[in-house]
Amino acid sequence: MSKKEKISPAKRKRLIRENLRSYSLLLPNLILFLAFSVYPVLWTFKYVFYRYGGYGSSVPKFVGFDNLIRVFGDDIYWKAVKNTFVYAGAKILFVIPIAFFLALLLNKKRRGNGFFQSVIFMPTVMSSAVMGLVFYLLFNVYNGQINRYLLDWNIISQPVNWLGKQHAMKTLVITAIWGGIGNYMVYFIAGLQQISQDTLESARIDGANRLQTLWYITIPMLGPILKIILMLSITAAFSDMNSVMVLTEGGPTNATMVMALYGYQFFFPISAGTVITPQYGYGAAVSTVSAVIAGLITLGYLFISRKLDDIY
Amino acid sequence: MRRTKEGLLLTISYIFIGIMVVFTIYPIIYTIVGSFKTNSELTLGGSFFPEIWHVENYVQAFIQADFVKYTWNSVIVSMAVMVIATLTASLAGFTFARRNFVGKKLWLAAYTTLMFVALGSVTLYPIYSLLTALHLNKSIAGLILALVSGQASNVMLTMGFVKSIPKELDEAAIIDGCSLYGIFFKIILPLIKPIMAVVALFSFRQAWNDYVTTLIMSISLPKLRTLTVAVVQLKYSVNAAAEWHIMLAGASIAIVPILIVYGFCHKQFIGGLTAGAVKG
Repeated sequence: MSKKEKISPAKRKRLIRENLRSYSLLLPNLILFLAFSVYPVLWTFKYVFYRYGGYGSSVPKFVGFDNLIRVFGDDIYWKAVKNTFVYAGAKILFVIPIAFFLALLLNKKRRGNGFFQSVIFMPTVMSSAVMGLVFYLLFNVYNGQINRYLLDWNIISQPVNWLGKQHAMKTLVITAIWGGIGNYMVYFIAGLQQISQDTLESARIDGANRLQTLWYITIPMLGPILKIILMLSITAAFSDMNSVMVLTEGGPTNATMVMALYGYQFFFPISAGTVITPQYGYGAAVSTVSAVIAGLITLGYLFISRKLDDIY
Repeated sequence: MRRTKEGLLLTISYIFIGIMVVFTIYPIIYTIVGSFKTNSELTLGGSFFPEIWHVENYVQAFIQADFVKYTWNSVIVSMAVMVIATLTASLAGFTFARRNFVGKKLWLAAYTTLMFVALGSVTLYPIYSLLTALHLNKSIAGLILALVSGQASNVMLTMGFVKSIPKELDEAAIIDGCSLYGIFFKIILPLIKPIMAVVALFSFRQAWNDYVTTLIMSISLPKLRTLTVAVVQLKYSVNAAAEWHIMLAGASIAIVPILIVYGFCHKQFIGGLTAGAVKG
């Protein structure tokens, strides 16, 4: 006997009314969620298995795993994957330590620290695309301000082609560091403020010097927050696309092509990019594989950080 | 001995902070100061400050490059996104936190799962097709809806915040004869203002700064472009090499308003970041 049959008509009516009321509040967001979050994801997953777009296939045709097989043999894609790892790795390697030391220094209540915090956080509120354009001008070979300073100070003897094949990735990473520090500094400050002053005080009384306090007290106590910060920095670095799009468009010759942009250009050809005819099916496959790679990295990271928990 | 060591440490710290501050602020100052220079001053080099402050760069940007229209678009779009996002996310967050209804578990699972599906900007294509089917692809409403988007993380954020408010408040209100809508608007809304401010600020910033979504959603009607898109598109204009001053004037028009907003609410910006990430 199911539960439903026991409910009296009056109670059932009330239950329906309560449900309708709940949904009346939820609905505005639910519609947006279904239309702009669920539907596009399902659409993309579906067309992974279709040939759609490209030369002469304006009508989707089911092709099974063909697109996925093509992804695994696509050299440019794997180059993009490699680039993404290089980019993300370099960004995190610089941003996290710099942000951590800034947080350590600016967390103390000293005159000017609030101001410095606000300044260093500034890039976070600004558009990465607009600032990408500014960096594009700054790093220009012959007219850019960066080369001019470096030449004036005799650091270089010839203008460096910052957006050329050799240096473009470095330039992107510098831009990413510029945009990322403030964000993670604030996370670290929030973490530092949760460490009780008493613990630090007692370490000092026990004769621990600054370095010892940092290594044995502050960093271990930051542990849980450090984990979240690293997690956020990984996911963010894997999805960065704006500055790449504006600064290099993935070029020259795919030297700065990243996963996110590679999938994107099969849907919306970027101005100077390589793809001209949209290939929706293949683009869907590329993006899905990229999402899986990013997901696996996150999962792997979670697994490792949990293992580390057991050791300590 | 100890004092000199302290002094040295302090000096090194300040040098480090100083370098980072200069590194951060230089591109911003360059943009704003450069927007008053002539194109040749920018491309051929010269002193840091312009010889003459060319305010006419702004006149040119606003009138010839049509930035009056784009500024207006940015304001309308960002405000609308802010209002819609804040209202819908807080209603949904409240419903998830306080109500029991059929399908609640399913929806909650869907919201959390979707937060981890990182397909990126390719989802703009189905969204664009959907808006085209609804005849919204050539209207500002379509752009606004695409920018508001699913709001999953904002819903989770408000849900967490509502949960931290004692339930007894709602119960007391019910006993006093308050309706469900009354509870939301009269009891909960005033109490969740801090988190709503965060959602509002962040969705405003996201809409103002967005590039890719707005670029795609304004394909069929370029006059819907916001400042961010319009500025970046200057890079692709025919005589881009001769328009550095216009680009920088445009970039300043795009970044100064958000910096002013930041100047007034930097506490909320910084606090909101941690409310979303570290606590949640």
